[in-house]
Amino acid sequence: MTDRIAPGPVLEFEGVGKSFGGIRALHGVDLAVREGELVALIGPSGSGKSTLLRCANRLAEPDVGTVRFEGREAPRGGAALARVRRRMGMVFQAFNLYPHLTALENVALAPRRAAGRSARGARRTAVEALERVGLGDRLDARPDQLSGGQQQRVAIARALALSPRILLLDEPTSALDPELVGSVLGVIRSLADDGVAMLIATHELAFAREAADRIVFLDEGRMVEAGPPEEILERPRTERLRTFLKRL
Amino acid sequence: MEIFFDREALALAWPAVRSGIAVTLQLALASIAAGVALGFALAVARALGGRWLRFATPAIVAYADAFRAIPPLVLLVVIYFAAPFAGLELSGFLASFAALVLVLGASAEEIFWAGITAVDRGQWEAALSTGLSRRTTLFRVILPQAVLLTVPPLTNRAIATGKNTALASVVAVPEVLNQATSIQAQTASPAPLLLAAGVYVALFLPLVRIGRWLETRAPTGGPAPAEGPP
Repeated sequence: MTDRIAPGPVLEFEGVGKSFGGIRALHGVDLAVREGELVALIGPSGSGKSTLLRCANRLAEPDVGTVRFEGREAPRGGAALARVRRRMGMVFQAFNLYPHLTALENVALAPRRAAGRSARGARRTAVEALERVGLGDRLDARPDQLSGGQQQRVAIARALALSPRILLLDEPTSALDPELVGSVLGVIRSLADDGVAMLIATHELAFAREAADRIVFLDEGRMVEAGPPEEILERPRTERLRTFLKRL
Repeated sequence: MEIFFDREALALAWPAVRSGIAVTLQLALASIAAGVALGFALAVARALGGRWLRFATPAIVAYADAFRAIPPLVLLVVIYFAAPFAGLELSGFLASFAALVLVLGASAEEIFWAGITAVDRGQWEAALSTGLSRRTTLFRVILPQAVLLTVPPLTNRAIATGKNTALASVVAVPEVLNQATSIQAQTASPAPLLLAAGVYVALFLPLVRIGRWLETRAPTGGPAPAEGPP
């Protein structure tokens, strides 16, 4: 997965802030995710992890600050924003699969209707993406016929089918039964090994320690600490991070 | 008893009522089709939002509220008797059609809108995050789920519209009730009216039963209602 645009950040937040009904969810966050890098966002619930991810593809519109994708400010709307979103895959805590469509149709919809591929091309892409997450044998299953772990893998395949430059994952294993978490993390790890850039909000510290290049600790909408996993998890510098790690 | 089943009056009434059935059915089917289509189009416009449609939303809401508040009979006589003063001469049939469509359109818009907003917000977000346009998201992801929820209430509104075709008798449309009342006036027998009542039951009972059946199998336990499309 080596690409022409080598070292520059794929995704960059600069002073990004966002309020909801007078409550500040994010205070001026600066963060960059480089090509092939896996950055894990950790922090208590309500610390702004989801909001930050949603500001990346403007599902939430930042009040202040700049979001850059491949070095350019992400467009605010219209077809240009849709094109950028296509290249930033997103995976949700609640999977958000389309319940009326099969696994294959869930994955093929955007290649067909957003990227404008032929029906056959979209199908082929979807089959490949589902094989990549280990679901090549469940193409025609509906979401309600799949386990939570399988549903989340379909959702990852849906994001992957557009060959995104970066995946945004919003607590992808938080809604899963413990015994299903492993299969989803396994898929994410294999994507990381393939060099897919990822920004992942997670409570799985063991996973973050092992798979992340960097860990970012958010608390009350502020970036409190950021660094390599061993530094963040073993030598926390702030009291807030120490308290957070102790509670987990 | 004979007075209610006056054979002479019934024999006289039946051909007239029978011809009225065709008119009633035409008016009912045309009004239901156009009313549902109007409601659907308005709900879609409201859901798509964006640019000029943004200004349309308050107008759609105002229309839906006003026409759910006005009694259909009042609307009909206003259209029929007031429109000529605005240079618009409508036949009784067209005036009835217009009134029924406007009333059903208002309810149908609200029903489709409720269906659209009942679909989990996450469905919009997932689709938009893959770069689908709002329009494609609405038609390929949201509406297929929303429409299922709208079928039972729409069936009920369709039945109400079908029954309201009887209002057209006040503007001399030769539908079932109008035919029956004119024969009743000739014969001074209530039998034609009973015949008409029987015809209405025969026409709409099947729809009522279908509506009941749809309600029992309506999807339940779906996703929690969201505040609306983002």
